[in-house]
Amino acid sequence: MAPNRLPKSVRAELVEAPLFSFGAALERKCGPSTSSGRTVLGLLAGWLALMAVPAFAQQTPEQRLDALDKRITRLEDMNQVEKVQRAYGYFVDKGQWTQLSELFADDATLEIGGKGLFLGKKRVLEYMQTAFGKDGPKEGLLANHMQFQPIVDISPDGKTAWVRSRAFVMSVGGWGLPLYEDEFVKDNGTWKFKRESGPFTMYSSWKGWGHDALNNTWPDKFDPPPDLPPSTVYLTYPAYWIIPFHYPNPVTGKPFPVEPVGAYQAPPGTPEQEASLKVGRLADGTQPIAQPPKD
Amino acid sequence: MITNPSTVRAELVEAPLCLAANAAPEEKNSPRASGPASLPTSSGRTGPVVWAVLVGALLGFAAVPAHAQTVEQRIAAYKHRVELLEDQNAIEDLQATYGYYFDKGLWDQAAALFTPNGSFEYGQRGVYIGQDHIRRAMLLFGPQGLAAGHLNNHMMLQPIVTVADDGLSAKARWQGMIMLGQPGQNGLWGIGLSENEYVKQKGVWKISKAHFYVTAETDYDAGWTKSAIPMEGPSALFPPDRPPSEVYRAFPGVYIPPFDYKHPVTGKSLADIPEPADDVVGRK
Repeated sequence: MAPNRLPKSVRAELVEAPLFSFGAALERKCGPSTSSGRTVLGLLAGWLALMAVPAFAQQTPEQRLDALDKRITRLEDMNQVEKVQRAYGYFVDKGQWTQLSELFADDATLEIGGKGLFLGKKRVLEYMQTAFGKDGPKEGLLANHMQFQPIVDISPDGKTAWVRSRAFVMSVGGWGLPLYEDEFVKDNGTWKFKRESGPFTMYSSWKGWGHDALNNTWPDKFDPPPDLPPSTVYLTYPAYWIIPFHYPNPVTGKPFPVEPVGAYQAPPGTPEQEASLKVGRLADGTQPIAQPPKD
Repeated sequence: MITNPSTVRAELVEAPLCLAANAAPEEKNSPRASGPASLPTSSGRTGPVVWAVLVGALLGFAAVPAHAQTVEQRIAAYKHRVELLEDQNAIEDLQATYGYYFDKGLWDQAAALFTPNGSFEYGQRGVYIGQDHIRRAMLLFGPQGLAAGHLNNHMMLQPIVTVADDGLSAKARWQGMIMLGQPGQNGLWGIGLSENEYVKQKGVWKISKAHFYVTAETDYDAGWTKSAIPMEGPSALFPPDRPPSEVYRAFPGVYIPPFDYKHPVTGKSLADIPEPADDVVGRK
């Protein structure tokens, strides 16, 4: 996984607020599904009203318009990145692996669960079609990966985006909760997956997570084998691992702690690691394993 | 890193000043259909002539840097882009509101969200046209105001909204998670998809077509491997205005509700994705 989970970015509204002196009007929106468009129109009106004010004379109208263009583009980019992530989910639901792979940049990477890393768009397609069959939904098979709760951030240069989001899986196999920390690249004006990283939070049978839980997947659980081993080894529910947040705390501005959190937050044998292994576990300290790894 | 927002702020404030040269070429190839900047792309959308002319002059075939436009031209273009963002938000709010009404059996309020000639289609129940028929069709789900002991949740999630460049119509795909309950029966889980259409009339977005495709429904305890609940057909009590517009089975059958949007990366239509065969329906 790319180490750069903490972009040197801040939300663009923080950056440009001083230009307009409208900082108070700029709520920190975490997603474009809010009324951020209204905010921009308000800014546009405010800009028009202030055009003639001499206090702003140090900036030309063109400079202010450049800044406005950048902010509108950022909102458009956020919407588009959400669309790509959501389209990924709709393609999974219907087994559209070719269409899904087309959402990825040629040099993109994909890592789902504990299966390891797949390198490149062609390998994404090979992974999907080998593991899940040829394109198209199959009678009697349900594998809905609903895409929820996106937090989108765009880099200051507008060429990279990050999303933290989740899938809620309802399938013939039961329930599932992947979490995503994905990276996108704007390639020739088009947003594509650059890195899809989907560690699992929880998988259980239909009887529910109070009854049983599957352990994480592993590289040779099913074909095809990955190009690289998993970037992180972690346990799923009832243990947990927190995939680092790409964005800082939106209120305090503090970045997410760099050290991993969860079962592997400290070296094996240390008291911290021993304690963390009990977090989220059953009362007897065990982690149920439904399908032990093959030899 | 970002421990002190104010320093970052100061550092990046100058960034917009150097962006102008890059702005226009980037817009040139953007696939998004959210503004006049996208007109010269392969998005396949065409706005009104007035916009085409204006935009052609503005961004025009986009080799023209933003600074070559007049201030008025740029403001007009940006206003249009902001309006399209607002339109998307308004449509998301509209559909979410429809869902909240539908959950609670507020049929009068839900039907009022439609255009006078709007249509409502749920599963294989057929198509109802016009607010009055839509309201009565919804009464088939239960009385106005959710009856005691009932759960009728149809969550409106995962939207992909595509607003037409003229800002007067839109389409959207939604994921619908279903949780149903009624006295004396076990709970029910379900999944479905909405492919809806909207129009803006006198500045207000309304639903012109609500089409909910049931993907799968199952008994709460049994789950998909043991229980697959079929869809209801057209009502004999209040028959629809038209038969179902598409004939398909819910799970264990499989069906792909046609995608309204184009592939977000390739820009190609998704209309020709083949439907899976279905012996019962007779689809090869």
